[in-house]
Amino acid sequence: MSEPSCEREGITMSPWRHLRPVPLLVLALLVAACAAGSGGSTPGTASDQASTPATATPVPATVYPLTLTDDAGREVTIEAEPQRIVSLAPSNTEIVCALGACDRLVGVPEYQVGYPDDVAATVADLPIVVSFGPVDREAIVAAEPDLVLAAGNELTSTEDIDALADLGLPVVSLYPESLDEVSGDIELVGEALDAQAEAAEVTAGMAETIAAVEAAVAGEPTPRTFYEVSVFEGTIYTAGEDSFLASLIETAGGDPITGDAASTAIQLEDLVEADPELIVLGDAAYDPTITAETVAARDGWAEMTAVVEGRVVPLPEDILITRPGPRIVEGLEALARVIHPDAFD
Amino acid sequence: MRAATAQEATRPLPIGLTLTRTALVLGGGALLLGILVVTAVALGSTQIAFGDTAAIMGRRLLGLPFAETWAPSAETIVMQIRLPRVLTAMIVGGGLAMAGTVFQALLRNPLADPYVIGTAAGASFGAALGIAAPLMLPMLAIGAGSAFLGLGIVQVLAFTGGLVTVLVVFAIARGGGRVQMITLLLTGYAVSAVLAAGVALLMFISGRALGAIFSWLMGSLADAEWTDLAFAAPLMLFSFMAMLTRWRVLNLMLLGDSQASSLGVNVEREKLRLTVLATLATSAAVAISGTIGFVGLVVPHLLRLVIGPDHRLLLPASMLGGAALLVLADLVARMVPGGGIPVGVVTALIGAPFFLWLLRRSRVLRAEAAS
Amino acid sequence: MSVAISSVAALHGIDFAYPRAGRDPLTVLRGLDLEVQAGEMVALLGANGSGKTTLLRLISGVLKPDRGTVEVAGRPVGEWTRDALARRVAVLPQQLDLPDGFRAAELVEMGRAPHARRLFGSTADDERAIHRALADADALGLADRYPHELSGGERQRVLVAMALAQEPELLLLDEPTLHMDLAHQVALLRAMRRLRRDRRLTVLAVLHDLNLAAAFAPRVVVLHQGQIVADGDPAEVLTPDLVDRVFGVQAAYATTADGARQLAISVDG
Repeated sequence: MSEPSCEREGITMSPWRHLRPVPLLVLALLVAACAAGSGGSTPGTASDQASTPATATPVPATVYPLTLTDDAGREVTIEAEPQRIVSLAPSNTEIVCALGACDRLVGVPEYQVGYPDDVAATVADLPIVVSFGPVDREAIVAAEPDLVLAAGNELTSTEDIDALADLGLPVVSLYPESLDEVSGDIELVGEALDAQAEAAEVTAGMAETIAAVEAAVAGEPTPRTFYEVSVFEGTIYTAGEDSFLASLIETAGGDPITGDAASTAIQLEDLVEADPELIVLGDAAYDPTITAETVAARDGWAEMTAVVEGRVVPLPEDILITRPGPRIVEGLEALARVIHPDAFD
Repeated sequence: MRAATAQEATRPLPIGLTLTRTALVLGGGALLLGILVVTAVALGSTQIAFGDTAAIMGRRLLGLPFAETWAPSAETIVMQIRLPRVLTAMIVGGGLAMAGTVFQALLRNPLADPYVIGTAAGASFGAALGIAAPLMLPMLAIGAGSAFLGLGIVQVLAFTGGLVTVLVVFAIARGGGRVQMITLLLTGYAVSAVLAAGVALLMFISGRALGAIFSWLMGSLADAEWTDLAFAAPLMLFSFMAMLTRWRVLNLMLLGDSQASSLGVNVEREKLRLTVLATLATSAAVAISGTIGFVGLVVPHLLRLVIGPDHRLLLPASMLGGAALLVLADLVARMVPGGGIPVGVVTALIGAPFFLWLLRRSRVLRAEAAS
Repeated sequence: MSVAISSVAALHGIDFAYPRAGRDPLTVLRGLDLEVQAGEMVALLGANGSGKTTLLRLISGVLKPDRGTVEVAGRPVGEWTRDALARRVAVLPQQLDLPDGFRAAELVEMGRAPHARRLFGSTADDERAIHRALADADALGLADRYPHELSGGERQRVLVAMALAQEPELLLLDEPTLHMDLAHQVALLRAMRRLRRDRRLTVLAVLHDLNLAAAFAPRVVVLHQGQIVADGDPAEVLTPDLVDRVFGVQAAYATTADGARQLAISVDG
C-alpha cells in the first residue's frame, strides 16, 4: 500500500481504518509526518490541480471493504469492487460512465435526455428503476446491485434511501453544491469504484476548463445577470441566493441576481429593481415559445436594461448547467460565452 | 287480542345469525381477502413466478423445507417489500373500515368517516410538524434520526396528534356532562379547520420538505416496514377485539340516547369508550400510512346496504371488507407504470362510483317496495 | 315519611326544571311526591306540558332531579347500575324511529340487552322471553317484518314487545295509545291488565283518553302545572270540576245502559 494521501480529511479512508488498533502515539507520528508532506489541500481545487501534473502523485488503488461518507453525511460501507451499479439520477449515470464503468450499470432513471451519444447508447436498454416520483424498489432489488448512487436533497427521498439501506444495499447519496464539490463527488465515486486514476483524469480535465474560463473572464466587467430557470403561473424561478447556480454564474464572470434561498422564487418587482443587464433563458432549452421577443413582450419586462439593449439570450445548454456531473464545465463554458461573448472566439 | 295461530306460536324467531348467513358473509369475506393477499404478494413491478412466491412464503413463514430455486433478490422482494406492504394494507384497511362503522353508528350519520371528529387533521398537523420542524430549526433534528418503538418522529407525532385532537374535541363538545353527537361533529369540524390551516402554513414555510408533507397527506403504503407493523398491529388487534364484543352497544345506540339508556347502556361512558377505541385504530393507521380516504366511509356504508345494520355481522364484515379493499387498491396503485400512484387516488376511484351505483340501486329497491 | 318496602317507585320532593339556552330554566315539576306500589296500575293524566313525560324520565333515570330523591325498589336511582335498572324498569317511549334493516323480532331481541349473557347470541331463555313478549304484545305475526313495512300501530306493538322483553317489574308507558286504533288501544290496555296479573308487572301509563284511563286504571294521578292535584280512584277523583280546571273542558258523568259511569265530554259550549 502506497503512502496515505492526506488530501481528503473529511472521508474516512481505508489506510487510516487499518491503523485504528495501533496506539495513539504511532497515529500522532503519522499525522505529523503527513502534515509535513503534501500540505493538506482540499480536493479538486482548480489552482492546486493545475499546478500539480496529473501523474506526479501515484494514484492509489482502492482497498475493500471501503467505508466512506456521502454528501448526506451517511457512512456507507462497500464490501468489494462494485460490479453492478444502479444510478438514480442522470448526473450519477454520467459520472459512472466518465469513469469508464458504464458497462457495470444495471439500473438507470427513465429520464434519458441530453446524454452524450455513447452513454445514451449504453443506457437505452437498461432496466428503468426510477421515473418521476418514488423509486421502484422491486426493480432495484431485482437488479441485484452492489452499489446504488442516489441524488441528495430529497431528489431521491429519504424514505427510499432508508428503505434501500434497510434492504442491505449500499446507497451513496450525492449532492454537490459547488464546482469543487462536483469534482469531489467524482473522486468519491472513483474511490468507490476503484477508478481513482480515471477520476483524477476527469477532474483534471474539468479543472483545466474551469481555469480557462476564469482566465478568459478575468478582469472583464461583471454584468448583472438574471438566469431564468422557469416562469410558472406568474412566479419567476431563478438561481437561489448562495446556490450552486449562482456560484456558476459568478465563475462565468457574471453578477447573479438571485431569488429566495429556499423557494428560488423572485418577485417581479425585485427583478425590475435589480435591473438585469443580461437575461439568460435556461427554460428556452425546453420550450420553443420562450424567445427574446416573447420575453420582451411580457408586462413590466420591457424597461429592463437587458431587454432594451437586446441582451436576452437563450441557453440550450441548460441541461448541462443543471446536471452536476463531469460535463458541468461544458455548461459553465457555454454560460461564460453568453455572458462574455467577446472574451472567447 | 287474537290468540296466536298455531303456526305463529311454533315458528322459530328470525333472530340471531344463521349459520349460512354468517358463513357466507364472513367466510366469503375471509376467502376473498385471502385470495387478494396472495395475489397482491405475487404481483408487482418485477415478475416473480407464482410458485416461487408461494415457496418463499412457505419456507420463511411456515418453515416448510422448500429447496431454494429462486434468486435471493426475489426473496428480498417478497419478504421485505411486498409482504409487509400487503399486511399493512390489510390492517390499515380493516382498522379504517372498523372505525368508520363505529362513527357511523355513534353519530347516527351514514356519511361519517373515521376522520370526521379530527383524527386526520390532528395527525396531519403532527406529521407536518415532524417533517418540517427539523428543517426549519436544525436543533430539533436530533429527534429526526432517532426512533421510538421503531417509529420515526413523524409517526409518533402523527399518532399523538390524532389521539390528542379527538380527546380535545370530545372535551370541548362535552356540556353538562353529556356529549351531543351533533355538537361533537361541529366541534370536530371546527378544530379540523384550525389544524388544517396549521398544516397549510407549515407546508408554505417548509421549503424543500413540501413534497414530503404532501405525499404524506396523500396517504401511501410504500414505506410500510415490519417495524411499523410491529407498532400498529397490536393496537389494531386490541381495538378489533374490544370493538367486536361491543356489537350490542352499537346496535342499541341506533335507538337513540334515551332508549339506549333505558335498555341499560351507560350512554356517556360508552360514547367515550367507543370513540377512544375507534380513534386508537385510526391514529395507528394514519401514523403508518398517512390519511387514506374513502375506505372508512364507503366500506361500512356499502356493507350496511348489503348485509344490514346489525353490528354483530357488520363489524367483522367491515374489517374484512376494508382490508380486502385496501389490499386491492394498493395492488392497483403500485402496478400503475411509472412508479405507481398514491393509494388514496385509487380508493377514491374505486369507492366513489361503486357507492353511487349502490345507493341508487337501494333507492330504486326501496321505491319499489313502497309502491 | 317512611317508605313501604313494597313500593316499586317512589319520588319525594321533586323539583325539576329544563335548562334553556339564554333564558331562565323551565320549571316542570315542583315539590312532587309520588309512590307506586308493586302490582299497581296507575294512569298518569294531565294537559300537555304538565310534566308527565318528565316524571317518567326521572323514574327511568334518564333525568336527574334538581331537588328530591327518586327511588326504584327502595334504592335511589343513582345507585343502580344502568344494567340492573334496565332489568327492573322498562320504558315505552312516545316516539321512536325504529332503525331500518332490523326485523321486528330482532328489535325485540334488543330488549333483552340488560339480561344478555352470551357474547354473540341469545340464550334459549332469551328466545323464550322474546317469544312471550311478542305474543303478549300481539305482535307475533309481525316478527318477520321490517319497520318500514309496518303501520304506526303495528310499530307501537313492536315497541311494546321490546319493553316486555326486558321482563321488567315496572313498565313505564309514555302515551302508548297514540297511534293506535280503538280496538288496539283496548287490546293493549287489556294486555297490560293481564300482564299485571301474569307477570306481576307494575304499570305506570301516561294516557290521554280519560274514559279509557278510568276504565282500566284503578288509580289515576293527575298532574297540573307541575304538581299532583288528584290521586286515587278515578270514579272519585275525576270530578267535572277537576276536568274543567286541568283540561279546560266541560264534562259530566253519565250512566250507560249497563250501569257503568262514563265521563262525557261536552263539545258544545
